[in-house]
Amino acid sequence: MSFRTSNVRMTILSLAALVLLSLAAIATPAQDQKPPSLHLTGHAILVKKIVSSEVALPAAFQYAIFEYTLQELKKSGRFQTVYREGDNAAASAPDMLTLETDATGFKEGSARKRQVTTVAGATTIKVHIKLIDKDGKVVLEQDVQGKVRFFGENLRATYALAKSIDKVVKYNFVAPKPAKS
Amino acid sequence: MIRSRFAMFVVAMAMVFAVAPRLTRAQSSPPPSTPPPNTHPGRAVHVLGFADAPKNLKGTLTVDGSLLKLQPKDKTQHEQEVPIASIDDVLTGKDSVRAIGGTLGTISMLGPYGSGRFLSLFRKKTSTLTVEYHDASGALHGAIFSLDEGQSEPLKKQLVAAGAKTSVPIEDTPPADAKPAPGGAR
Repeated sequence: MSFRTSNVRMTILSLAALVLLSLAAIATPAQDQKPPSLHLTGHAILVKKIVSSEVALPAAFQYAIFEYTLQELKKSGRFQTVYREGDNAAASAPDMLTLETDATGFKEGSARKRQVTTVAGATTIKVHIKLIDKDGKVVLEQDVQGKVRFFGENLRATYALAKSIDKVVKYNFVAPKPAKS
Repeated sequence: MIRSRFAMFVVAMAMVFAVAPRLTRAQSSPPPSTPPPNTHPGRAVHVLGFADAPKNLKGTLTVDGSLLKLQPKDKTQHEQEVPIASIDDVLTGKDSVRAIGGTLGTISMLGPYGSGRFLSLFRKKTSTLTVEYHDASGALHGAIFSLDEGQSEPLKKQLVAAGAKTSVPIEDTPPADAKPAPGGAR
């Protein structure tokens, strides 16, 4: 192996190490700020329709958030049953939590700007989520954000938001133990 | 080197000219007050939430007696329907999609000399129809459809006439200078 080749390899390795260290430095404060997991359990969850008390959120966005949140919560496996608002079967469900979502911020970007410039035209939705138990006590409360930056149409922000809501639920809940036979 | 660059330039130009007729059709839309002629009534793309229909299912959305039906373009898919009496709200909105979408749209993003981004400038106006309904157990569902520009309002009128409820009353044709709120529900 020539001296020049080993020199190039060393430079590449040094640069890679530098990039990794920078990434670690960026990621560390975010982890410190994250509150500890609540390790909650719930066998059933009822998802309520999204309300927008502070901002004018288009109807398509409201229902897309609702449907995607249901889809993601079902996939998460943290609850045995996921109910929709109005479901008659939810009344008899034991240990049930209610998810309330209130839209607090909405900035409709431009898909055209996003696809042409990459950096401009992001669509952002901010919501405040509350998980309430049967006694009306708030067990979890958090602000969550969904964004679409480059690929996809504006409605894709609703999917990103639902994924973020699911992430919060997954972090704070443990999967229910299977019932003993 | 020069030859390969020239070849890439020729490819980029060919892509632009190949899609030019479609772009012209998408761009030459009439003024907003007069919706385009209804050549494909009810042609819709199911975004999500309607019965058991898969996402992005293309088909025809029709009011058939007491049912709202989605007849898929792909005959291998099942027809989906919801009773109009179970519809609690019907809302319309405006949106736009890339004129060159789908797989061709994604491939075009890789085009040389930013030709993909150039194609992204061309967008087709669409309208959205959002339907809130409940199933047999009372559970709430929200279905979203993307229709051609100006097609959601007539469908909403048909639904309301057939017994669907709406929280936003139907307005008659707005004056030419009226500008609806961007993305807002009507």
